[in-house]
Amino acid sequence: MQKVLPGLFRLPFLVLLALTVAFGGGIWSTLVALDATTGFGAIRLGAWEAFPQAQTADADPYAKAHRANGGRLLYGSAEGLSFTATVDQKGERLSGRCTYLISGQTPVARLWTLFASRANGEAPATGQDLPVALNSRTVLRDGNGAFVITIAPQAAPGNWLAVPPDEPFRLTLTLLDTPTAGSSGLIDLAMPRIDRIGCGHA
Amino acid sequence: MLKVILALLNGLVGAGLLHLVIILSLPSFSERDAYSRVLGEGPPHRFHVLAARVDAAGLQKTDPFLDTAVCAFDLSENPVRLTARGTLPFWSLATFDSASNEIFSINDRTSVGNGLDVLLATPVQATALRKAQPSPLSQSIIVETRAVQGYAVLRAMAPQASYKPMTTKFLAGADCSTLELR
Repeated sequence: MQKVLPGLFRLPFLVLLALTVAFGGGIWSTLVALDATTGFGAIRLGAWEAFPQAQTADADPYAKAHRANGGRLLYGSAEGLSFTATVDQKGERLSGRCTYLISGQTPVARLWTLFASRANGEAPATGQDLPVALNSRTVLRDGNGAFVITIAPQAAPGNWLAVPPDEPFRLTLTLLDTPTAGSSGLIDLAMPRIDRIGCGHA
Repeated sequence: MLKVILALLNGLVGAGLLHLVIILSLPSFSERDAYSRVLGEGPPHRFHVLAARVDAAGLQKTDPFLDTAVCAFDLSENPVRLTARGTLPFWSLATFDSASNEIFSINDRTSVGNGLDVLLATPVQATALRKAQPSPLSQSIIVETRAVQGYAVLRAMAPQASYKPMTTKFLAGADCSTLELR
């Protein structure tokens, strides 16, 4: 380095290098952190993830920065708790190329709603004729109160949740009026399973 | 070469500091936060019903079954009374301060009767209210808060399309106006 740079430019070069790394790295790492996480304090149940503390004053700095940047209207603790899933039970990304089965029961809640959205969080197109959202009142159940929902771009018998074909998607399951919202995540909660049963047009 | 490595290390430390500064100060500088967006919806002390698509202020109703209305409030002069009336399968209200920290939330089962009647007041206003005990407010839930500015989010559930007129009426009749104290 000494041979390439004359002595006069060595110090300004080192200062510039340090500043570039500081600003570039600082801004880049912040953007990545805000994009990647909603903060700590998540509860993970299978493929599902929720942040019961995200709207409170006790939320960690990352959660507060994320919520200030996202500007979304969060659920209060008496309202409900929103779980999202971007992967299936085995950890593979949810995709509109495949067919999935959601089965089981939700944690205790008065009502729940389930809808699929684009991977960037864009809401599903409502007012279409396709069932893009289901709730606890419209879902068909078996004798034990359990339900099975088929998620696929093509129509399926029983409970069918339509998703756009050939696109990754995200599922949001919101439990309304649930004791889960006040829970520390230590009690045993059972969320429905998301199992992939097939892919492609075969 | 050693100096270059030192400069890089300096840069990394600076990057770490900058990262922390941005993360910690973002909530106070952000203009994309929920409170700014609620203010962008229109005049305060009035519930604004959100559309299914993102509007100019950047808000939308996220859940297709939950019709949502927002209202920005300011307690610096007078307390604010939040009311709504109607029988629905589910409704809920959450109030937040200007930093989007939850102040208070309630749903139809935890409320009195089948309507919403919540009075937001600063500690001084709440003391004055308890002393005066105005009879029309005897059923109101008085919520004391130190947050002077904030917003309320009212959600009404329409599990099927036939409930839509009821939720629309519920949200249209919701009130978020200030209460004159004498």
